[in-house]
Amino acid sequence: MKKIAKYKAAICTLFLGLAPFAQAETLLIKGGRVHTLSDAGSFERADILIRDGRVEAVGPSLEGGADRVIDAAGKVVTPGVIAPVSELGLTEIGAASATNDYAVTGESIGSAFDPLPAYNPKSTLIPFNRAGGVTRALVLPGIQLWGDTAGNPQRVFAGRSFAIRLDGGFDSVVATDLGQRAYLGEAGGQLAGGSRASAYAKVKNALEETREYRANRDAIRRGEWRELNHSLADLEALQPLLGGEQPLLVSVNRASDILQAIQLAREFDLKLVVLGGAEGWMVADQLAEAGVPVIVDAQNNLPISFESLGARLDNAALIKRAGVTVLISGPDYASTHNVYLSRQSAGNAVANGLPYEDALKSISANVAEVFGIEGGTIEPGAVADIVVWSGDPLEVTSYVEEVLIDGKLQSLVNRSTRLRDRYLKPQQGHDFGYKF
Amino acid sequence: MQLHARCIAAALCAAMFLAGCGGDKKSGESADFARQQAFPSTYSVTQSRPVLIVGATLLTGTGEQLENTDLLLQDGAITEIGEGLKAPEGALLVNGSGKWVTPGIIDVHSHLGDYPAPAIESSEDGNEMTSPNTAEVWAEHSVWTQDPQFALALAGGVTTLQILPGSANLFGGRGVTLKNVPGRRVQDMKFPGAPYGLKMACGENPKRVYGGKGTAPSTRMGNVAGYRRAWIAAANYRKAWEGYEKNGGDKPERDLELETLAGVLNGDILVHNHCYRGEEMAIMMDIAREFGFQISTFHHAVEAYKVADLLAENNVCAAMWADWWGFKHEAFDMTEANIAIVDQAKACAMIHSDSAVGIQRLNQEVAKAMTAGQRAGFDIGPADAVVWMTLNPAKALGIAEQTGSLEKGKMADVVLWSGNPFSVYTKAEMVFIDGELMYDRADKARQPHSDFELGILNAEGERL
Repeated sequence: MKKIAKYKAAICTLFLGLAPFAQAETLLIKGGRVHTLSDAGSFERADILIRDGRVEAVGPSLEGGADRVIDAAGKVVTPGVIAPVSELGLTEIGAASATNDYAVTGESIGSAFDPLPAYNPKSTLIPFNRAGGVTRALVLPGIQLWGDTAGNPQRVFAGRSFAIRLDGGFDSVVATDLGQRAYLGEAGGQLAGGSRASAYAKVKNALEETREYRANRDAIRRGEWRELNHSLADLEALQPLLGGEQPLLVSVNRASDILQAIQLAREFDLKLVVLGGAEGWMVADQLAEAGVPVIVDAQNNLPISFESLGARLDNAALIKRAGVTVLISGPDYASTHNVYLSRQSAGNAVANGLPYEDALKSISANVAEVFGIEGGTIEPGAVADIVVWSGDPLEVTSYVEEVLIDGKLQSLVNRSTRLRDRYLKPQQGHDFGYKF
Repeated sequence: MQLHARCIAAALCAAMFLAGCGGDKKSGESADFARQQAFPSTYSVTQSRPVLIVGATLLTGTGEQLENTDLLLQDGAITEIGEGLKAPEGALLVNGSGKWVTPGIIDVHSHLGDYPAPAIESSEDGNEMTSPNTAEVWAEHSVWTQDPQFALALAGGVTTLQILPGSANLFGGRGVTLKNVPGRRVQDMKFPGAPYGLKMACGENPKRVYGGKGTAPSTRMGNVAGYRRAWIAAANYRKAWEGYEKNGGDKPERDLELETLAGVLNGDILVHNHCYRGEEMAIMMDIAREFGFQISTFHHAVEAYKVADLLAENNVCAAMWADWWGFKHEAFDMTEANIAIVDQAKACAMIHSDSAVGIQRLNQEVAKAMTAGQRAGFDIGPADAVVWMTLNPAKALGIAEQTGSLEKGKMADVVLWSGNPFSVYTKAEMVFIDGELMYDRADKARQPHSDFELGILNAEGERL
């Protein structure tokens, strides 16, 4: 958390005067069904008092008034959804390359690639996903694996990461360097020259040199050392992986590839997070024993590749039962534009055996915990990122009624609602052009 | 269990000519451009045990929600809907208490079999990207019937689906409508008597693919010139054949590409047009008027809501997603109320998947679109929304006389759901196709597995 505080201070200085200053006001969310996702559990009916952007109290019928009251009777209240993987602020239109900044190709930098300067808090994806209940998100670069500009085969690390609040402010980056992402399995093999073993060797070599660099930094920097395969910038970026200060997200799906990733984590004392893990259920006990969380696409049950022949809808339920921490991402097929659909995925996971509260945690509390960012619970002291839902948040007929980020009520208007309102009754003529 | 084979293809084909269920067949012509019998359907029903579902909530697909109602399926057809129905001897009795029943889901836009799983280069057979006009290719010739994705779609309640070629071409080729049953050959899956579709594509894809190769089209106006040039050729081709059949003389040479287009001009082949933008839909409807054909459906119609009134006027359907957007510029103006707005403008609106993931949850996608419609202020309930995944896609495919709703005499394509189908927690428990129990969630023996799934992951078992 120290790192986050320091970063926030820097941001505040940078954007002094631009950031909307936290109002010293109190807000009461009254009478909703509250899932705190903290040790306090769930309340059939409870009030939440928010002061200065943080939760002050949660409980049935809190005494006293507030500057503002939101009536949540008959509604469901949860922490805001947190996306564990996204390219929010780094992409606008998938097939318009000029609007995409999340992947570099043909460059020698890998782990040192820092997408942060490209972040655009005014992206249309942000208000849209906020209206879907997402309050925070991890933003990670990726390596493009298809098309004419597919990745430089020397790279299996995608680069550095950050986290955002979805309030659309210029100060909405809440933390940086939350993890690195590497590719093993089929994707890794493709990037590393044709064999998944070569991808494994590249990751291993990078980590060995990272260790070597740590022990001999001064000599290496003075140039009194053997030539290394990785740039100093890359090795600097990988330092926090050793010892698990930062997690390493590894994209793997096949059971045997997952085991190899666990082996790597042991060897270098990494905090491994498996991304994908389609066949995780086959090695659920090993994942649990190694304490490796898995980011699951809970709508993925296609044997879409030979490394995910075991893809199944109850993967999340099965690994959770074995003791694995489950995070649920937006469904792959819908991409970052609809990252809020993680809630539909979580609902499907419940339909396939994942306990309800665990499903709620998998799209919020667990994400915050694994990446060490704020949000994910409603408890005294917690940041007030809260969503009031019309009903069960995992149900496809429910929708968002209110979103609070840092205790502030957010607008739910976005291009989708603007276009809807303009064309509710499409007709001949040019009047539509004057309807805003 | 009484087993007998019954080919209903012949009967239905006959019915098609009488009822003209392939579209508006114009009188006085006889040229067989559609070649409906070149690869004839060999679909058959092998189990005809009657089925009585007792006391369920029915969404009929015709706008009604019937509570506590019985449904009788016999000899492949829906024979009775009502209360207190008597079970014929030997019938499978299904307790429908707390369950919901809908017509089988129909997906008007799928690539299963043509882009199968696993997705490896050697089996990506969905798009002949070698010329902007490949009207001569037929999607059915690429279908790998052992694609394990068919069975996954079945578990999601999909009983009928159209397999379309991809969208890189102005004219991508013919689509084929399949019943979602295991088949050793694609003919075993072909929906008896269903008209062929012609896949066309507007917008970014054709101009990118061919413009990128330095050939036409490279612009949207180039796309339109390409369509019109082709329709001129098709009209000439049709005229030549009609002249020959009427007056004799030199027999014109057969041309596979023009044959498909002439089949559209005849009204025997239905146009399924990938088209995102409102402006382009309007242009395409004018082209259809210029050359005298009807567009069945705009697919991926992200901007259909902008021209919903024009769609209604021109009797053109729109197939849409609930919320996909942003992957291309032409998919940027998405609104979640799209389907609802089109529906409220009295145009024929439907959901579609274009995805092996989405096809498994079309009921959830409709639920989201229904909710978006309600939030927009429209009075749309489950009885209305179910039409978006049943009767309207049946209309789009020219098979609404046979399937798509729970009505007496229609094919017994029926899904029994564990509850309200518009819930994330609800699952298809039983799926009947022509009255045959093709999927039973409670009985692994009635869950199909493709050849591919045997001995995969576990040599002695099947995939899952």
